[in-house]
Amino acid sequence: MLRNAFFLLFFLLTSCAREPLYHSQSYVFGTLVDISIYGETDERARQLADHIQQDFQSLHNRLHAWKPISTGKPSELQQINAAFSQANQTIKISPDLAAIIADATVLSEKSNGLFNPAIGHLISSWGFQRDEFAVVNINEAEIKNLIHAQPRMTDIVIDNNTVYSKNPTVKLDLGGYAKGYALDTAANYLRKQGVKNALINIGGNVIALGKHGDATWRVGIQHPRQPTAIATIDLADGWAVGTSGDYQRYFMLGDKRYCHIIDPRTGYPAQDTQSVTVLVPPQAINQSQAGVLSDVTSKPIFIETPKNRKLAAAAFGIDDFMVIDANAQIFVSKKLAGKIHWLIPNVQFKAID
Amino acid sequence: MSNLKPLIKSLQQYLRIGDWLVALISLACVIWLFQTLWSHEQAAKVQIRLGDKIYGTYSLNQQRDIHIHGSTGEAIISIANGQARFAQSPCKNQYCIHQGWLTLAGQVAVCLPNQIALELLGENKPYDSLNY
Amino acid sequence: MSRHLTHIKTTAEDHQVAKLAAIAITLHMVEALIPSPLPGVKPGIANIVTLYVLTQYGFATAAWVSILRVFASSLLLGQFLSPTFLLSLNGALLSLAVLWLASHLPKRYFSVISLSILAAFGHIAGQLIMVRLWLIPHAGISYLVPIFAASALFFGILNGLVTAKLLQQKNTNDSELDKKRASNS
Repeated sequence: MLRNAFFLLFFLLTSCAREPLYHSQSYVFGTLVDISIYGETDERARQLADHIQQDFQSLHNRLHAWKPISTGKPSELQQINAAFSQANQTIKISPDLAAIIADATVLSEKSNGLFNPAIGHLISSWGFQRDEFAVVNINEAEIKNLIHAQPRMTDIVIDNNTVYSKNPTVKLDLGGYAKGYALDTAANYLRKQGVKNALINIGGNVIALGKHGDATWRVGIQHPRQPTAIATIDLADGWAVGTSGDYQRYFMLGDKRYCHIIDPRTGYPAQDTQSVTVLVPPQAINQSQAGVLSDVTSKPIFIETPKNRKLAAAAFGIDDFMVIDANAQIFVSKKLAGKIHWLIPNVQFKAID
Repeated sequence: MSNLKPLIKSLQQYLRIGDWLVALISLACVIWLFQTLWSHEQAAKVQIRLGDKIYGTYSLNQQRDIHIHGSTGEAIISIANGQARFAQSPCKNQYCIHQGWLTLAGQVAVCLPNQIALELLGENKPYDSLNY
Repeated sequence: MSRHLTHIKTTAEDHQVAKLAAIAITLHMVEALIPSPLPGVKPGIANIVTLYVLTQYGFATAAWVSILRVFASSLLLGQFLSPTFLLSLNGALLSLAVLWLASHLPKRYFSVISLSILAAFGHIAGQLIMVRLWLIPHAGISYLVPIFAASALFFGILNGLVTAKLLQQKNTNDSELDKKRASNS
């Protein structure tokens, strides 16, 4: 009885002083978007969040790899892909999409082709260019043909505001880039609006601005096999965190799991890893930004063989990353090991040095 | 406090061996009941969001099924034993159901196609947002 | 026929039991008038009578007194056939079932206090089952269960002690009466 009364009093007292935290959740970009803004009035925060959500929706419509904006009205990316299917067919392209392609090409090269947005046909043949996934009859011949054709980002030529592809098998799917790009766009918008403290989560990719009052923003990391967080990390101003996992977009065939992260070299989904998490610090202006990197760089690490994971991370200057392999073995980079707070007891992990 | 002494004296006078046994076992049962049903370490409520609005917040100290009409069909959320989960969903992949029972504050289960999200609310949320 | 009806002979025992039943009803009603901090948490002092009758006159009589008490008090309180009545009845029935089982326990080791505790738990169990299965299927009763259980234990012991004291008093009175008769004759 007394304990009950104490808790009630505690709640009443703490609820009296409500902190200026605005939190909205919406379904945009084909996924769950969570926006937290600290230190603004509810009215202003709502306006800012609405603006961001609208930006996301229009970006989503423009960059969608397979869903048309409405019947008969393909997205900008789909139109470009249609042009690409004819070798050397030029098409007009908007400046920001051109910049995206250019940036993605640089990153693709850095990853030795493991990050390859040009393999849209391969992704489609595995059935991952759909809202919901089902078992696919694996057509080995088709896959062989697709990787043989070697669609690459370097096949794309941008000239002023037109673009064409030398290779007709190039089909752009910005699934591993767009969420990160949207994060950077939103962060820049908020900064321009004078917002000092916010946390944006697009489908699991998170970027932080400022702090949560006096405390640093704290982000949980999903356990790849349980509905719980395996750990938390503090995300400082400008830092972003991204995870590639085999537990959100996949299908089972027998007892084998086929996830959406496809190795461009073999044409098959990577099967050695359950999840890869990367933490990215704020980047210099004229480079790929933290949000984009948090989305892109987890893929090459996910696909790489165990002994090359460190190299894959180093190629992008990523010091803080964690890998959970297919055997549920946890590997953590030295730098991240010092920062991570485990939520489950008796965690066994290996340090990657 | 003055009426405690005669009470203790009465207990010693009237309680036989079997009585002590019954009393102690009953006490153990009462303590066990408090521990299992009153544990404050677990989350206290589940918040259900439909689309971008909060559909409702429900105490976890009950046993009930909540029927919700999402954007693609009806889903059933079950609450029992201080836990919550998706029991039924019209989505094809049933990922939301495979998340199983949510037990701790901050845990989340989402059905993207149907735009329904569950989150357990408790005293101490261990993080501000979840990366996945 | 009519002759037999008008000449029903009542024994002293019947009178005694009727008196006790009346006391039980009175206790129940007095208790009903006193507000309790939590719904359903009551000392259940009418059970003292049930236990007393059980030890003195046997289970059948105790059951009779208990059920009579439930019906009569609900009629007098204007709660007949109401949910309160159903709760009371169900609690009393399960409590009696437990008492019947418990009355087989060896009296050397288990006094009326054990019976009281067990009957109290039987009572709350009967009430909770009625609430859960019938009256309010979605009730958040898991929060109340530990409180009910604690109160059953506490008042079970108290009522048991009171009953034990009453019984002891009766025994000393009886033995004094016997002594007097013996010395008189």
